Amino acid sequence: MKRYELVAAALRSNIVSGRLEAGLVLLEGPIASLMKTSRAPVQAALRILEEEKLIRRFDGRGYLVGRAGTSAALVRRAIDKLDLRIPNEINAALQNRGLWEVVYEEVESAVAACLIFGEFRIIESELGDYYGVSRTVVRDVLGRLHERGIIAKTSSSHWIVGPLTAESVRERFQVRRLLEPEALRLAGDRIDLEKIAQSLQRERVRDPAKQGAADWMQLERDLMEFCIFRAPNQHLVELIRHNQMPLAAASRALTKLGLPEDEIAVSEYLMLFELITARAIDAAAIYLSNHLTALAEKNLARLKIVAVIGEAPVGVPYLTLRESE
Amino acid sequence: MGTDISLLEAVRFKAISDLGFNIEFEVLDFPNCQRKAALNPEAYDVYDQCFHNLAIVWFWGALQPIDTTWLGNWSKVSALTKSGGVGKYASRGFGDAPMNKLYVQPDHSLGPEETRYIAMLPTVHNFDSFGYDTRVFNTDGKERESWAMLFDPRAQGKLALVDEPAIGLFDVALAAEAMGVLRFENIGNMSPAEIGALFRFLKDKRKEGFVRRCWRTGEQAAKLFRDGDVVIQSMWSPAYNELGSAAAVVKEAVPAEGYRAWHGGLSIARHVSGPMLHMACEYMDWWLSGWAGAVMARRGYYMSAPLAVMDHLSAAEWSYWYDGQEAAQDLLGVDGETIIVRRGARRSGGSYLERARRIALWNTVMDEHNYAARAWARFASSVNGKLR
Repeated sequence: MKRYELVAAALRSNIVSGRLEAGLVLLEGPIASLMKTSRAPVQAALRILEEEKLIRRFDGRGYLVGRAGTSAALVRRAIDKLDLRIPNEINAALQNRGLWEVVYEEVESAVAACLIFGEFRIIESELGDYYGVSRTVVRDVLGRLHERGIIAKTSSSHWIVGPLTAESVRERFQVRRLLEPEALRLAGDRIDLEKIAQSLQRERVRDPAKQGAADWMQLERDLMEFCIFRAPNQHLVELIRHNQMPLAAASRALTKLGLPEDEIAVSEYLMLFELITARAIDAAAIYLSNHLTALAEKNLARLKIVAVIGEAPVGVPYLTLRESE
Repeated sequence: MGTDISLLEAVRFKAISDLGFNIEFEVLDFPNCQRKAALNPEAYDVYDQCFHNLAIVWFWGALQPIDTTWLGNWSKVSALTKSGGVGKYASRGFGDAPMNKLYVQPDHSLGPEETRYIAMLPTVHNFDSFGYDTRVFNTDGKERESWAMLFDPRAQGKLALVDEPAIGLFDVALAAEAMGVLRFENIGNMSPAEIGALFRFLKDKRKEGFVRRCWRTGEQAAKLFRDGDVVIQSMWSPAYNELGSAAAVVKEAVPAEGYRAWHGGLSIARHVSGPMLHMACEYMDWWLSGWAGAVMARRGYYMSAPLAVMDHLSAAEWSYWYDGQEAAQDLLGVDGETIIVRRGARRSGGSYLERARRIALWNTVMDEHNYAARAWARFASSVNGKLR
């Protein structure tokens, strides 16, 4: 079960049992800290429960327990004082991953999204407040980001992010060209040919009018997951994964800005998949290397485009633009 | 949609009467024009801008390839854009030469390999430098003209720069290199470290009180000289015609390091098709037929098909603007009334070919443009903000 499903399941069982009474106001923040999770899964869980008509929106912050049309009086009580019953297996699953891991994923994605917009500072106290977590958790999260080379520390001990420069894009693509074709060769028999054949089939029958244009980033993820990450060398796989992270984040950010789909990249991935399903792995590795060369040039060209977007669409309070240079 | 470089009402009226269909102009400053062209391509049919910003607008997918077989005047376009220089030995310059963005390659990228399709039809262009007050600099007429003059102590508090990162940044870079303060491995494609060093230099100069203003239009630049706010600054050619009495003391430099060149052109928005596409091509082709080029010449701009322009200029005009000869008589501006060149005057830098052979670099959207443009925007707003 996904985290938001776990949260939804926990809330659902307490609504059905009546521990969460009709009219009670549900707020994201307190639920998140009770469940030791970040806000995003709580948001998703509340939306699910709303669709199930177990809770409803009202003229205020949060949701009310009870289906729309019912008219229980508004109840405001601290949810952590309600002695909720959280089924053991859900509780175990929720606690399974350390809290920092959950927060880590969200911080990583927020940080990655701002890389192309310049240099940012991470304010530790704001980060802690935003996710409602302790300084220890904040340090764990930032420590891991630092270890992975995503953030850096200034001489004055400030955490900084970015900028993703053309130079680093070029260097990361160089690393990709060195590592990924070799990983593909190493993966050899471990490649999930069936999954690759399925992707190929999915794109062959695609009707752009109904399903929209093919998404080259999805094809790239398929290539990674079913081929390259199957290489029997975890260290190599980790290197490839970390090297790609900021590039993938930049691509996602650019797509959000409304950049058109890259049809040529799609056709290149399909060609690559044809070679892989034909088990022509050496040829596929050479093709991949050429494809990465072309992709690097396109990425550099796309990065220039970002210059017309004035302000970074940041959206979290703990990242602030650093203007000091 | 374009800038005040080329979108003049006189041009619009003449195009309407020659072509027989209505044309509307939307005139914006450089950064806003570029932003709108990329983000809102439905808002225009023809885009009148510079080659260097194809690096942004083309890759955004806002434009479509132009079929050169639809352009009757295509064969008249000179070698500067088609082959990269006016002669075999002419300086190509650093940076983004228009040739490298001219042809649409089979993979839809832009490059110098000739194909049937182009991304932008080359039109107006020039070789820019800076203007200075001869009461302050070069008073004896013997001083060497160099980009280093921008940060000469005599310019302190009286310097202005053009506020466009693909242009103004290079004026500063040329100056810093000419002064021997900085050295770029490739001034047309700087590394982040070099950009960082350039902005540290600029910041120091700003602290020393050098930079008075960052301007966005030629009119703003002309006013700075007229009001005596600056003694030296980036300049665009038509602004020299708008100096009023300051014209007597302002000189266009011929920098020893060479010019910062730029090339304008016309592109077609992605959405244009059918009869509108034919009209767009007719309009673009019309730009090369000579009349518009003559108007541009009176603003100090050159046209990519110069021979057609010759038929629409008087002999005296041609020999002053293109040949770099002494004006045989007073020459009038675009309005047909104002005298903008006095008899006996000579164009700074000489003839078209002489000037075109001395290109130091082209206005360029570098690989690190996103990084540099953000740093530039902060710099320009700190300069102009302080003024307010």
